[in-house]
Amino acid sequence: MRNTRDTQLLFDLSKPGRRAARLPACDVPEAAIEDLLPAGAVAAAPPALPEVPEPQIIRHYLNLSTLNMSVDTHFYPLGSCTMKYNPKRNERAAAMPGFADLHPLQPAETIQGMLHVLYEMQQYLSEISGLPACSLQPAAGAHGEYAALLVAAAYFRDIGQTAQRVKVLAPDNSHGTNPASAVMAGFNTVTVKTRSNGGVDMEDFYKKLDDNIAVFMITNPNTVGIFEPNMREIADAVHAKGGLVYLDGANMNAILGVTRPGDFGADMQHYNPHKTFSGPHGGGGPGAGPICVTEVLAKYLPSPIVVKVEGSGFSGQGSGNASTLNPEPRTPNPQYALAYDRPHSIGRVRSFFGNVGVLLRAYCYIRTHGPDGLRRVSENAVLNANYLLSKVKHILPVPQGDRCMHEFVASGSKLKAERGVAAMDLAKRLLDFGYHAPTVYFPLTVPEAIMVEPTETESKETLDAFAETLFRITGEDPELLHEAPHSTAISRPDEVAAARNPMLCCRVD
Amino acid sequence: MPYHYNTPEDQAEMLASIGAASIDELFAPIPDALQLKRPLNLPPALSEMELDQHLRQLTALNDYAGTKVCFLGGGSYDHFVPSVCDVIGSRSEFYTSYTPYQAEASQGNLQVMFEYQSLITRLTGLDVANSSLYDGASAAAEAVLMALHAGGSRNKVIAPSTLHPEYRQTIATYFENIDAELVTLDCPAGVLDADALAAAIDDKTAAVILQQPNFFGCIEDADRIAAVAKGAGALLISVFDPISLGILKRPADYGASIAVAEGHTLGTPMSYGGPYLGIMSCDNSLVRRMPGRIVGETTDRRGKKCYVLTMQTREQHIRRDKATSNVCTNQALFAVRASVYLAQAGPQGLKETANLCLQKTRYLAEQLCQNERFSQAFDAPTFKEVVIRDAENNVDGLLREAIDAGYLAGLPLGRWYPELSDCFLVAVTEKRTKADIDGLVKSLTAKSVRQPAHV
Repeated sequence: MRNTRDTQLLFDLSKPGRRAARLPACDVPEAAIEDLLPAGAVAAAPPALPEVPEPQIIRHYLNLSTLNMSVDTHFYPLGSCTMKYNPKRNERAAAMPGFADLHPLQPAETIQGMLHVLYEMQQYLSEISGLPACSLQPAAGAHGEYAALLVAAAYFRDIGQTAQRVKVLAPDNSHGTNPASAVMAGFNTVTVKTRSNGGVDMEDFYKKLDDNIAVFMITNPNTVGIFEPNMREIADAVHAKGGLVYLDGANMNAILGVTRPGDFGADMQHYNPHKTFSGPHGGGGPGAGPICVTEVLAKYLPSPIVVKVEGSGFSGQGSGNASTLNPEPRTPNPQYALAYDRPHSIGRVRSFFGNVGVLLRAYCYIRTHGPDGLRRVSENAVLNANYLLSKVKHILPVPQGDRCMHEFVASGSKLKAERGVAAMDLAKRLLDFGYHAPTVYFPLTVPEAIMVEPTETESKETLDAFAETLFRITGEDPELLHEAPHSTAISRPDEVAAARNPMLCCRVD
Repeated sequence: MPYHYNTPEDQAEMLASIGAASIDELFAPIPDALQLKRPLNLPPALSEMELDQHLRQLTALNDYAGTKVCFLGGGSYDHFVPSVCDVIGSRSEFYTSYTPYQAEASQGNLQVMFEYQSLITRLTGLDVANSSLYDGASAAAEAVLMALHAGGSRNKVIAPSTLHPEYRQTIATYFENIDAELVTLDCPAGVLDADALAAAIDDKTAAVILQQPNFFGCIEDADRIAAVAKGAGALLISVFDPISLGILKRPADYGASIAVAEGHTLGTPMSYGGPYLGIMSCDNSLVRRMPGRIVGETTDRRGKKCYVLTMQTREQHIRRDKATSNVCTNQALFAVRASVYLAQAGPQGLKETANLCLQKTRYLAEQLCQNERFSQAFDAPTFKEVVIRDAENNVDGLLREAIDAGYLAGLPLGRWYPELSDCFLVAVTEKRTKADIDGLVKSLTAKSVRQPAHV
């Protein structure tokens, strides 16, 4: 039985005079606010916040929480977004007071444990990417793309090629953030076509590759779930023209310990730790967007970065043999420090160090798996995706063929032509069966795209049941699907009306 | 592996269904020459127990607000985090869900975001808010980009030196490769002088960005600054402290068109600086230039009120290189925590919290400055932070000794302001007791600071 009363708007639950917070009495001599602050700065009254007691807060938000599908409650086969299980040990670690209650501007000698973790993370991410330098500062994947493109711009400025290097090339199936980031960083974007198998159209690539190229941005494995067949050739050709290769690391879940972007020609990459290393998505954030680059580009990375202090005698670098279970005890001489004084750095892209809470979760994930475990992650992600592909391809053709990496993009165009059922209808109907919808209509290069990524943390039984559900749905009365979902708290919203007449906040009474 | 299901038998069955001989065969599309032929050079796997022990050893190497009394501010503050924020913020249905593209499966998140937007507009007095950005500094940079786009050929932005140095650095980074100029005005009195602004502003100025209270904790004359900005046809961008709005005027009240803030102070711990919550709010005329996600109210097919992500035609996944920004991720989970914080505070709670910060900061400054070694660097009234000048010009030594005595006493300012190398910034939140403050004052003023730590 759904509780609808307590999911009214928070403001409708408010009643003047109710309150949850009780503050301690002021224990220092108190003066009137008007005597301490200029009259022109003081508000006549505090903001019109809702007035609700604590039990109502809990009931309101917990009832709202039940209106969500989440990884902890449902299978979430959402391609491109890697919705894998979020380990609980990581949550506990990030909440430890010795991490959560650190101020970002404490002196280095008071945060050696924190800096140890961050230094190790820089090393781990470099090792996994094959790119030796790392900045943990960017706050999200797109923020990392942007920071890396600023690094590229700084590099071209340094070698006197700013006027020449104006073009960023990106395939037509790239994430929308790629061209948007390129424009923010001051470049023009040029779209390169892809072929029906999802790979870069090499003819179009060579047509657009010239001496004006700054960066080629590529997602690999790409958004249709295949490893770019001409990766090495593309990277060599870009380098031969003096350009740089950017690897959109959204799909690193497929290749951990199998291949490394630095080894297949990337000069820069970002990570999405919330995808690859299982940080929770939080309903849309926070994430993080650390970047790794080649030695040549290292000096341009955002500041600060964590450095090991020379002569501290510490050997905790992420080496496979040296366990870091026993970091050095407290010493007056710090072993790690933050390097701010980096004259070639692009500067900073946000306040303080970065999204440390997300990085801590990723650190726990990497330490839990170790080198073999990380490779197993990718093996099982790829196995699950290929298995699911093998089960559904008879119902929903996959234009890119019988094999994929960690995700695949099926096409609902046959279903639409034959039965009038759109990819969106299928997605909405899946909600009735307790599955979050796959990503639909992305990438734009596949008609009626249905993008599925099961991840490694799902069982064969779950995948079998999901495939059976898909099969069942495709046989249902199309009318039933057009009207789906039928069991959720709401039916399909009128998105056109929402955009045409925006109501973006609740009116003040 | 703790998070995988596939047994060897499962794997064999699955490979048979695929028609592959081995898992390695599935990686065949990756050319052999590109495959890594060795294990990654990473430390070996740890069990949960070993990981826990490892992390405990590491946290023992950290001093934190709990083992030391924290008077550090400068954009991150040791405010109290109510337990309801932790309870709701650790609810799996919120923290393990995805961006609410499927509105039917995400009404919880969508309604909370709609309520968050409403709460933020009530804080700022402006018309609309988005559902959050990365942090205060990047939100300020995005606000400046909005103002530049809205300002046509105007390409200059003015910021006083009283704007957080890291915010100014972030804006400067964002400006590096576009046709825009950031002009910083020195503020020797600790606040922006309206006449100096009037002299610097011109018809190329798209925006003036003002922090209230500013980086030094001082109260700026926001009304006058806004009037100068408006007079020159520039937008006023306010960087505000959400807690301060318990007693200070809202950004809209002094004429801001865009207001941004660091919102971690609303129910999220300091976490060594991140992740944080970038708050953004603006007036109606700018809404279609606003970056990030926006939730709107609509109705479903049965006429029931519901919520969806809306105005997505501004966003990168639709507009690609024509988008208003590249922002794709927001800070939804911390927007949830901020909503819970504001709901539990209510108007009176926010006012009392702000008042405690104000009174205690004043008390600390008065107590400390009774000792002739210390004085307030600026005359302007302050809210939650105050700049203290050390007549002996030994800030680093003083602060280091304070740590030994149990206090994270303040931030040395010389790093950002060489002319203030004899000064440090002290922040006093509602969490600091009189005993904390008295202890700090005693420690800083004692000839020998080797007093017993605070009890």
